[in-house]
Amino acid sequence: MTPQKPAIKKLYALSNEGRKFPFVLPLKNVIRVNGRDYSVELREDEKYGVHVLWKNRRYPVEIVRTKQNRYEILFNDISHTFTVETPVSMQRRKVLGAGRKKNSSLVVRAPMPGKIIDVMTRDGAEVVRGEALVILEAMKMQNEIQSVVSGTVTRIGVKAGQNVMKDDILAEITVK
Amino acid sequence: MKKLKRILIANRGEIAVRIMRTARKMGIETVAVRTAVEPDAMYLSFADIIHEEDDEMAEIPVFLDVEKLISIALKTKCDSVHPGYGFLAENAWFAEKCRDNKIIFVGPSPDAIYKMGNKPVARQIAMKHKIPMAMGTPGSVASEDEAVRHAARIGYPVIIKAASGGGGRGMRIVRQESEMEKMFILASREAEKAFNDPSVFIEKYIENPKHIEFQILGDTLGNIIHLGERECSIQRKHQKLLEEAPSPALDDELRAKMGETAVKIARAVGYYSAGTVEFLLDSDRNFYFMEMNTRIQVEHPVTEMITGIDLIEQQIRIASGEELSIRQEDVRLTGWAIECRINAEDVQAGFAPAPGRIEKISFPDEPGVRVDTGVRAGSSIVASYDSMIAKLIVTGKDRHEAVINTKKALDKVWIKGTKTTLPFFRMLMRNHVFQAGTFTTAFIEKDLEKYHNSSEYEESIAAWIATKLFVEENLSETKSGINFEQGRELTPWLLRKRLTQF
Repeated sequence: MTPQKPAIKKLYALSNEGRKFPFVLPLKNVIRVNGRDYSVELREDEKYGVHVLWKNRRYPVEIVRTKQNRYEILFNDISHTFTVETPVSMQRRKVLGAGRKKNSSLVVRAPMPGKIIDVMTRDGAEVVRGEALVILEAMKMQNEIQSVVSGTVTRIGVKAGQNVMKDDILAEITVK
Repeated sequence: MKKLKRILIANRGEIAVRIMRTARKMGIETVAVRTAVEPDAMYLSFADIIHEEDDEMAEIPVFLDVEKLISIALKTKCDSVHPGYGFLAENAWFAEKCRDNKIIFVGPSPDAIYKMGNKPVARQIAMKHKIPMAMGTPGSVASEDEAVRHAARIGYPVIIKAASGGGGRGMRIVRQESEMEKMFILASREAEKAFNDPSVFIEKYIENPKHIEFQILGDTLGNIIHLGERECSIQRKHQKLLEEAPSPALDDELRAKMGETAVKIARAVGYYSAGTVEFLLDSDRNFYFMEMNTRIQVEHPVTEMITGIDLIEQQIRIASGEELSIRQEDVRLTGWAIECRINAEDVQAGFAPAPGRIEKISFPDEPGVRVDTGVRAGSSIVASYDSMIAKLIVTGKDRHEAVINTKKALDKVWIKGTKTTLPFFRMLMRNHVFQAGTFTTAFIEKDLEKYHNSSEYEESIAAWIATKLFVEENLSETKSGINFEQGRELTPWLLRKRLTQF
C-alpha cells in the first residue's frame, strides 16, 4: 500500500435519507447532537458481542453489510445505511450527482430467497412508488416486492413459479 | 381413564419445548424428532428420547407426514401424540389415524376438527344454534329491490361486493336504505367495468372490528368452560403480532355473554380438549362468530398468565380421560398479560422474513416476565419454517402496568444475528392509541405511519459507528481489535483489505 497522502481532517457520514453527519479526525468517542457532545464507546465482550455504551446503557451493534464506503449498521435493532465520504469524495459526489439526475435506473433485487408467486407488472409498464412488482413467497409468507421509485419498467427478470436466490434481479426500472 | 406415559411431540420449535416442559412436570416421557434441517435444534435437548429421522430427501417435512408420524409413534412405543399448532394440529385425518392405531391424539375428536375446519359446515352449525354471525346473501343479488330486502334482514351497514371481484373494486358500503339504490348501481357498474361481470352480493359490514377470541376447555364427559378472552387486534395481513388478555374492550357482562356463546359453539360439536372461538367485535359491542381453532394457540400463554391454568396440562389430562377439575365459577382473571411475537423479520422492509443464525440471545430474567422460545445462541432461523424467535410474555396488575413492564422488558431483550420485530414492539408500547387500547384490526395497516422509531441520537451513533469503521478500514494504523463480523463470512472486499494491510 502506498503511504497516506495529505492527512484527511474530516469525514462525513451520509444517511440514505440524505442527512449529513460530520466527524473530525482523529475520531473521538463523541457524538454531537443539537450542539451538545455525548460520549459513546464501542465495546466487545463474550456475553453481548459488539455493543455501544451510551448514557450508561448497552446497545447492540451489528454490521449488516459493508461495500466499499457504504455501511449498513444495525444499532439497537434498527438498520441505518450510510456512505462515508472524505471532503474530496464529497466534492466529487456533488459534481457527479448533478449530471446523473435524469434517467438513472434502479435494479430491484430479491431481498431473500423464495418463489415468485406472481408478476404484477410487465415490460414497458409505468409504475409508481409503492406499486407491487412481484409477489415473492418465502417462509410461508407472501411478500409484495414494491417499487421504491416511480418510473418505467425496462426489464422483468423473473416469471411466476420461478425460484429465486437472494439478490437475484427481479426488475429494472428507469426513474422518471 | 388411561394415564399417558409417553408422548410423541409431532412438532418443533418453542411449542415442542413448551409441551415437553409440562410433560416433564407431570412425569410423562417425551419423544422428539430430529430433522435434517435443524439437527441441533433446542427442542431436542428437552426430550427424553430423540427419534432420528433421515428426511433429507423427503418431499414434505416429517411434521406433515401422517404415515411417518404414526410409524414413529409406534416404533418409539408412544401411547399418545401432541400435535402442537400448525402442521397437522387441525388435520382430522391425522387424528383419525391416531385413533385407528390406538394412539391418543392430544386434542379434540376427528369429528370436531372436521366440522370446525370446514367453513360452510361450521357456519351451518353456528346458524342452527343461533350464534351471531356476519350474515350474507347466499348468492348474487339481482336488483336494488332485492338488495333492500336482504339488507333489511341482515341489518345496516352492509357492504356490496363484486361476485368475481377482489382488491376493493366494486365494493360499496351502504349505511342506510336511502343510499341503497345509488350504491347498488354504482357497485354493479364498477364490477362490470373491472371484472366483466356486474353481479354483486351483500354482506354485513363490520365496522372497525376488534379480533377477540375465547379460550375453551372441555373434557370427554361433556363439561365445557371458557377461560376468558384474548385481544388479538394487533395484526398485519392477518398475522397476529401481539396478543393480550384480557381485552380492554370487554367488561364482565360482555365477557359472560361472549363466553357463553363460545361454550355453546363448542358444545354443538361435542368439543373436548383446548380450543379457541374467534369473534369479531364491532364498535357497538355486537359480536360475530368467525371460526373455531381446534388446537392450542400460539398466544395461549397470556391466558395461562391471568388464570394460572396450564393449558397443556389440561390438554393432557383431558386426553387421558380425566374430568375437568375447574368449574366455570372457579375461573378468575387476575392482572394483565401481553405477548410480543419476536420474529426474525425486517420491520423496515415491510416485515420481510430475515432468516439467519442467532449469534447472541438473552432475555430479562425477572418476575412477571415469561419467555417461550425454541432458539438459543447458535440456532438458525431457517427459511423452511416460520420466523418465530421467541414469545415475550409480560404481566402487570393492570393494563397500564403491563404496558410499562413490557416496555422495560423489551429494552432488555438482546438478540444478535438477524433483524427482529423488536423495534416494532418498542414503538408500539409508546403509541398513544395502543396505550389507550382502542385499536382495531385496521390499526397497524391503516393508522400507523411508521413501524419503528429511531431518535436523532440513535442515528448519530450509527453514523459514528459507520465512520469509525471507515477509519479502521481505510486510514488507521492502530486497530481497536473489535471483530465486527462475529462469525460472519468476510466479504471479499474486506478480506482483500485485511490481506493488503498485513
